[in-house]
Amino acid sequence: MDPEIAYHVDRLTQDYVAQGLDPREARRRALLEFGGPAQIEEDLRDIRRPRWLADLRQDLVYAARTLRRSRGFLASAVLTLALGTGANTAIFSLIDAVMLRPMPAVRAPAEVVQIARVMEECGSCAVSYPLFEYFHDRLSSISGSFVEMAIRHEITIDGVDEDATGSAVSGEYYQVLGLAPAAGRLLTPLDDAVPTPVAVISYDYWRRRFGLDPAAIGARLTYATTTLTIVGVEPKEFEGTSRWREHSFAAPLSMVDALNGGNGKWRSEWSLNSLAMMARLKSGVTLERANAEVTALFEPWIHDRAATIPVGFQRQQILNQHAVALSGAAGMNGLRLQFIKPLAILMGIVALVLLLACANISGLLLARAAARQREISVRRALGASNGRLVRQFLAESLLLALCGAAVGFGAAQWFSRMLINMMANGDSLSLKATADWRVFAFTGAVSLVVCVLGGLAPGLGAARARINPALKEVRAGGYRHLGRLLVVAQLAISMTLLVGASLFIRSLVKLYSVDTGMRTGGVFLANVTSKHHFPPARSREIESAIIDDLRRMPGVMASSAANMVPLGGGEWNREVQVEDRAFRPGEDNTTLLNAVSPGYFRVTGTPILLGRDFDARDESSQNHVVIVNESFVHQLLAGQQPLGKHVTSNNVRYEIIGVAADTKYQNLRKGVSREMYLEWVQQQSAEPGRWQPMGYTYMARVSAGDPMRLAPLMERAMPEIDPAMRIFRPQTFEDQVNESTLNERIMATLGGFFGVLALIVACLGIFGILAFQVSRRINEIGIRMALGAARRDIVALVLREAALILVPGCLAGSLAAVVLSRFATSFLFGVTPTDPAAFGIAALALALSTLAAGYLPARRAARVDPMAALRCD
Amino acid sequence: MASDKSDLLQGTLDMLVLKIIALEPAHGYGIAQRIQQISREVLQVQQGSLYPALHRLEKRGWLKAEWRASETGRDAKFYTLTRTGRKQLGEEAANWDRLAGAVELIMRTSE
Repeated sequence: MDPEIAYHVDRLTQDYVAQGLDPREARRRALLEFGGPAQIEEDLRDIRRPRWLADLRQDLVYAARTLRRSRGFLASAVLTLALGTGANTAIFSLIDAVMLRPMPAVRAPAEVVQIARVMEECGSCAVSYPLFEYFHDRLSSISGSFVEMAIRHEITIDGVDEDATGSAVSGEYYQVLGLAPAAGRLLTPLDDAVPTPVAVISYDYWRRRFGLDPAAIGARLTYATTTLTIVGVEPKEFEGTSRWREHSFAAPLSMVDALNGGNGKWRSEWSLNSLAMMARLKSGVTLERANAEVTALFEPWIHDRAATIPVGFQRQQILNQHAVALSGAAGMNGLRLQFIKPLAILMGIVALVLLLACANISGLLLARAAARQREISVRRALGASNGRLVRQFLAESLLLALCGAAVGFGAAQWFSRMLINMMANGDSLSLKATADWRVFAFTGAVSLVVCVLGGLAPGLGAARARINPALKEVRAGGYRHLGRLLVVAQLAISMTLLVGASLFIRSLVKLYSVDTGMRTGGVFLANVTSKHHFPPARSREIESAIIDDLRRMPGVMASSAANMVPLGGGEWNREVQVEDRAFRPGEDNTTLLNAVSPGYFRVTGTPILLGRDFDARDESSQNHVVIVNESFVHQLLAGQQPLGKHVTSNNVRYEIIGVAADTKYQNLRKGVSREMYLEWVQQQSAEPGRWQPMGYTYMARVSAGDPMRLAPLMERAMPEIDPAMRIFRPQTFEDQVNESTLNERIMATLGGFFGVLALIVACLGIFGILAFQVSRRINEIGIRMALGAARRDIVALVLREAALILVPGCLAGSLAAVVLSRFATSFLFGVTPTDPAAFGIAALALALSTLAAGYLPARRAARVDPMAALRCD
Repeated sequence: MASDKSDLLQGTLDMLVLKIIALEPAHGYGIAQRIQQISREVLQVQQGSLYPALHRLEKRGWLKAEWRASETGRDAKFYTLTRTGRKQLGEEAANWDRLAGAVELIMRTSE
């Protein structure tokens, strides 16, 4: 008894004793007068601590106890939850990193905007320096702006080389972003006004390279041949404005020519778009207003520029662009748009996985509730209210949600790292998918929603259950319909995911069976870097030496160099004039170009259909020659003898000496376009000063074995050719092709992964419900067998149940797939979103798996001993 | 004798408890005794409802409780009025005066 109440009762007892009652009778009277101490104590508890809180604790403790008792259920539920929440969290954390998280350390990031041109092929194209100056001087809605370009090179500190990526930034960079230095000072407009050899390093780089040593301020950093003095360190969290890119240092933009050996043309040439531009809005100015001003200002500017070039295709293309102000709170938009599309599709896929997990958990909880119906009836009989029963189920769900979220959160870390590695594709992608509060909140919410939704149905079912029949009935019914509906839903979701997976996989297969016009196997590719630039003659020597060295390596059949390696994503085109062929006004008069060395076609395995390859004669010849592809002949020289015809481009007149077979150029997806191959040495003399050994990719075809064995050989050979030269990013041609199919591969891999996973989960669901039904119908099966049903009939009975689940699930899933697959069209290749084969494959996989899942219960049913079955309850 | 006793008017228990404790700190039994003594045995506190009231008032911050030795030498839980409790008592007393006056006005009207 509560001591306070005990005191009161004792005093009352004493009063009665004083009145002459016998102590026992006195106590009885006292208790009577007081009125049930136990009940009052309970009232007091309710006052001290709200009822629901006490109940909640009780519910949770009870839930923990019951969950501990059913380990199998706990494990499968937590795994399913972890799968659903983990996948969703991983994708969400990537979206958060690319899209949502504002740039850390930047002052008022909401005021930062990116100013970009918009053209057909890019949503946020780079700007030119003249355009930047124009906007910088005229925009009234901004308080400051800057441009930057990525610079990447080997940099040397204290004699140690290291490949590093940084930015060349214009003067107001740090002012506009509102950053304060972690050490030393940041760059100012004065550093950029005249080329000043200074640099600022990122905090990360300071830690990595200098161990946060203050002596880093004043240290010397050599970029190519230019030495910069480090004057300061950026704030700790700052990641640069393009967060998927490593950002180790920043140097004044005016230093860029000294660093990269440029000629300064970018400063005055309005068509050299190589800079990313950002600005800070004046306080109170909206993005819409800034955007309107940018668009309006750009209009007359681009018209003035376009007027300087002749009317034609290119002029029209130039006029087909406009400029916009985009939100820059999360950083530059460039590559983000490339990532966001696959991420959005993936988010859709994992949302389906989550739905599946939801249905699965709900099914599990339902089955559990069915098994516990007797317990529930007993509790009801003892006076548990509806609300109390539902709450009990929700408590269990809550506990499950917590476990699932915890495991899912761990799984998500691993999964998002894997995804980033996939997206990085061997390159450095410094995307920080850190688990911040947003991601935590997301996982928690997702897990909770799944469990509450999953726990609500059985809870409400329990609340509806009547006491009497349930107490008497031994095996539970009642939940059958809902349970089956949930399995149908799981099958439908699996079907949708499987259709997606087979669409993606079929696209990938089709993509790889595309005729590229080349044999990509057995080809080695390597780029080179140099510490400095070379005069033309020396350049020539080095280039020839590399090709000759490659040619002499064991097992090499042919070697070559090209400034554009096909399927590398790049594009080089120019306008051409063709002898005896006038272009209509507005007709596309451009052609793709490539500058190659003799032997190129032997390396790529592209047949020369007509005429000859380049050879040593062409190098010194005054007669400029080209090889064109079939499409070029078809489109521009139809019905004519191409050899000996002349084409003019960039004021050089070329004679066609050969026709090569069509090959893919940019990537596997794009159709074949007309193309013109220039002889590399001739091209160098036509454009003196433009070409350097670093401008080419060197290629070699090996007769057998892994082409990558050439990489160490070439690495050793390079310094002997010239001490300043290094090999850079050696890879096989096949690897490069794989890079160009990155999105398709991600989709096929993850689509397939989740499709199979969904199939497994759904099969477990089918297995569960069939096994449950078989165990429920043992008596019936026994009777049927006793009446003469063959084992075959019993198996058919169970499999018919399976079919009753499969068919509606398959149909519903197909319907959903027809609606949803449209959104993935841009990732498909060679198949339509409603490709019958893809739907067929998915349906077949689903049917076979259902059959497999139904086999065990069916066999069990067929082995029922009629006598035993009839006797059991 | 039972017919001479009246149940407490709804809502007045809190006020009475505050008033009794305002006189001097007291424990539950003492408060019940005091109410009976002062009302000359007319008002009978339902012992059971006294404690929930005390705990409620304590939770609202109008009372403070501490264990100390009682007149019998045994430890008992004594309740003391807090400053906000005193203010509350003032308000409730004023309220009661108004209510009692109003009731009296009605009952005194001659038929």
